Amino acid sequence: MPKRRKKQQTETGSKREDEVAGSAGSNRRSFIAILTGGLATLAPIGAGIWSFLSPLFRKAETPQVRVALLNQVPDDGRPYFFPVVADRKDAWTQYEGQKVGAVYLLRQPGEQTPIAFTAKCPHAGCSIGYSAAEEKFKCPCHTSSFNTDGSRVNGDDEVAPRDMDTLEVELSEQASADGKTVTEVLVTFVDFQTGHKEKKPSA
Amino acid sequence: MKQLVNSTFDWLDSRTGIKELLHEALYERVPGGARWRYVWGSTLVVAFVTQAITGIFLWMAYSPSTQTAWESVFYIQEEMSGGWFLRGLHHYMASMMVILLAIHFVQVVWDGAYRAPRELNFVLGLVLMLIVLGLSLTGYLLPWDQKGYWATSVGTELASQTPVVGAEVKKLAVGGSSYGHHTLTRFFALHAGVLPGALVAFLALHLALFRKHGLTPKEPIKRPDEMFWPDQMMKDCIAACAILLAVSVTTWYTHGAELTAPADPANNYAAARPEWYFLFLFQFLKWFPGELEVWGAFVIPGLIVGVMFLMPWIGRWKVGHFFNVAFLVVLLGGAGFLTLQAIQDDNLAGSADATFEDSGLADTPENRAAFTASVEFLKAKEEGHYNAERAIGLAKSKGIPPTGALTLVYDDPYLQGPKLFAQNCSSCHNYLDRENPDPALASLVNENPTAPNLFGIGSRQWIEGLLDPEQVSGPDYFGYAGSPFAADGDYSEMVSFVQEDCFGGELTSNQREAVRATLKKVAVALSAEAKLPTQAATDAQDSQLIAEGRALIEGGLADLLESGSSCTDCHTFGEQQDIGSPVLDGYMSRRWMIDFIRNPADERFYGEMNDRMPAFAPHGDEKLNQLDDKSLGLIVDWLRGDWVRPEEE
Repeated sequence: MPKRRKKQQTETGSKREDEVAGSAGSNRRSFIAILTGGLATLAPIGAGIWSFLSPLFRKAETPQVRVALLNQVPDDGRPYFFPVVADRKDAWTQYEGQKVGAVYLLRQPGEQTPIAFTAKCPHAGCSIGYSAAEEKFKCPCHTSSFNTDGSRVNGDDEVAPRDMDTLEVELSEQASADGKTVTEVLVTFVDFQTGHKEKKPSA
Repeated sequence: MKQLVNSTFDWLDSRTGIKELLHEALYERVPGGARWRYVWGSTLVVAFVTQAITGIFLWMAYSPSTQTAWESVFYIQEEMSGGWFLRGLHHYMASMMVILLAIHFVQVVWDGAYRAPRELNFVLGLVLMLIVLGLSLTGYLLPWDQKGYWATSVGTELASQTPVVGAEVKKLAVGGSSYGHHTLTRFFALHAGVLPGALVAFLALHLALFRKHGLTPKEPIKRPDEMFWPDQMMKDCIAACAILLAVSVTTWYTHGAELTAPADPANNYAAARPEWYFLFLFQFLKWFPGELEVWGAFVIPGLIVGVMFLMPWIGRWKVGHFFNVAFLVVLLGGAGFLTLQAIQDDNLAGSADATFEDSGLADTPENRAAFTASVEFLKAKEEGHYNAERAIGLAKSKGIPPTGALTLVYDDPYLQGPKLFAQNCSSCHNYLDRENPDPALASLVNENPTAPNLFGIGSRQWIEGLLDPEQVSGPDYFGYAGSPFAADGDYSEMVSFVQEDCFGGELTSNQREAVRATLKKVAVALSAEAKLPTQAATDAQDSQLIAEGRALIEGGLADLLESGSSCTDCHTFGEQQDIGSPVLDGYMSRRWMIDFIRNPADERFYGEMNDRMPAFAPHGDEKLNQLDDKSLGLIVDWLRGDWVRPEEE
């Protein structure tokens, strides 16, 4: 094609000028065409991807939440279920006092501070239930089961890759209106990545 | 007329070349003649077109956000004329498309139609298949109901196990660190924009290459060639009609696709399962414990898809072709087996109230675990239906508030009452309708109660039971274990009032009946104090009876009973103020019950007689209370039967 074109040009115009302008200019024009065309396509894609990636630049919140009063957790070594209620923001909607998850609190006889397990299964994130009859935690999805201390019933043969995730617990004394004090159980509610041997926050 | 049409067509053709295009598209030779076995590719196109059309119409009524997704689908399903049918078509055609894909795929591999020069077209077909599966995966979430939400959340949790970039992949898919508006907007953009766009592009290439190479006829060709139009086209169109008929009948028969309760991030739906054609993957994952899951979720499926892509090259040798066919048979057989196994595992128990002992299974820990898992699944499924029906009923009768349908669910005593009761009350109290036990509330039955049975509390029947000489000392009232109000307890006045003061001594049967009739009036009047919504009509009717009963409570009873006792010897009521507690004014009314649960040891209630019931909300700051004000209201409303009854409106 370029050859034929050159020939035509040779026939019609000044030979020397056209040869130079034709070949050099053609390369340059191709280059500019590809560059500008590429830019024109990439600009909107880039803008899109930039905003599409926005979740990667936001950090998840790990609120400290009051989940129960201490007297709701008897020191009988049995787990008690409590929803985790916290303020939560979903994109543009501000929710106040939403259930963001659930925990099991368990106090061994004589212990003051309860242990807190998040109810989210470390396997695939289903919500773990507790069977009082069997005294075991049971995940309804892929049948993982855990002992009351959070350890897997079948160890490494269990579907779940690690024991139940514990959460940080803090006790806080509060004076109430009638002059008594009540002890609140505060839990730092962290969402953990599922499916790994190690316990890593989702971030 | 005909001339006009012809000349218009000629004009159009001279400007567009449409005649040649049509000719190109329709007048293709079909070697060996038109056949029914060539229709499968076309039916897939028809299925896709159906999805595009129904999808666009659904789009016109759908709104992707956490407060509007379920709500708009509810509206499509329940309120829009023909909405259920439209949604049903879209739903069942998606399943049909997967079946058609499988048939098409099997046929191509079986016939070796992937061989040169059609390798690339086979690859394009596989890409199309992956896109269709992607459409199905993204579509499942869009109604934002319990089933879609929890099934998809398991899927995205799996995505987070992608090696190295898992956490980032999940964040991008979910549009944040947890499910929300942007999960829906992203899934919807994929489902209605990106994936269909890609599908159209790849389908165009697929069809272009198909036309370039033609179909793969069955050798040897015995019959003469026919033309695509109208011979093959007629068969294609009849097949298309049959497909649509099948899907329409299914839709009609099932009354459209299921819509479960609104997605509730705080309450896991244990019966969440993926769509049936992904069940084999779900089941497959159970084989891979712990860290091995990445093998089940990515490595092995990845290898299988990899082999599928290589089939045209493997199939160059005769042995390779046999390998491909065998691979396919094993793959489909395995998937079928896993699917059946998944269904069987879930339904092992047969019903939610089955017991392991009656199941006839060998008593091994594995069997027990499998059985329990199945019971849990079936229970969750039953509860799911119950919740869905209720949520839809509420949305229909009350309308949905701007905060979304989940608010309806959370504010509904009928749904929340039993849960709150189980958490806070049922370790002491029983809740059992002795005449007509509700299997759905079986979990609230306490076999060894240490407090009264609260079923029907405040109703005439309940108070009549309290005033019955047998029942008052039975387990439903004051005869529970260790009761201070029992005949041998520290505070036996009420029991002895009923048993001795009312029915004691030598009464003839006529006298007993007279006492009963009198106490019945007392019960009616006292029950009227509760202002139960379920009793509003009868209370209004019986105003005369109530007035008589009130007079009896206020002291009139003393004149009728030989013992000369009456309610107001101990209790404050009406004109007899400051007598004692529990106060009978407003007895079992909403206010009375809420205050009672807040602090039963208050002087208006049991004072120092209260030996066991905790004060659930004694503090002014509700954060310091075991029960917040809203939960308190929900429990009381539920106990009083004060909830919306859609069927009556």
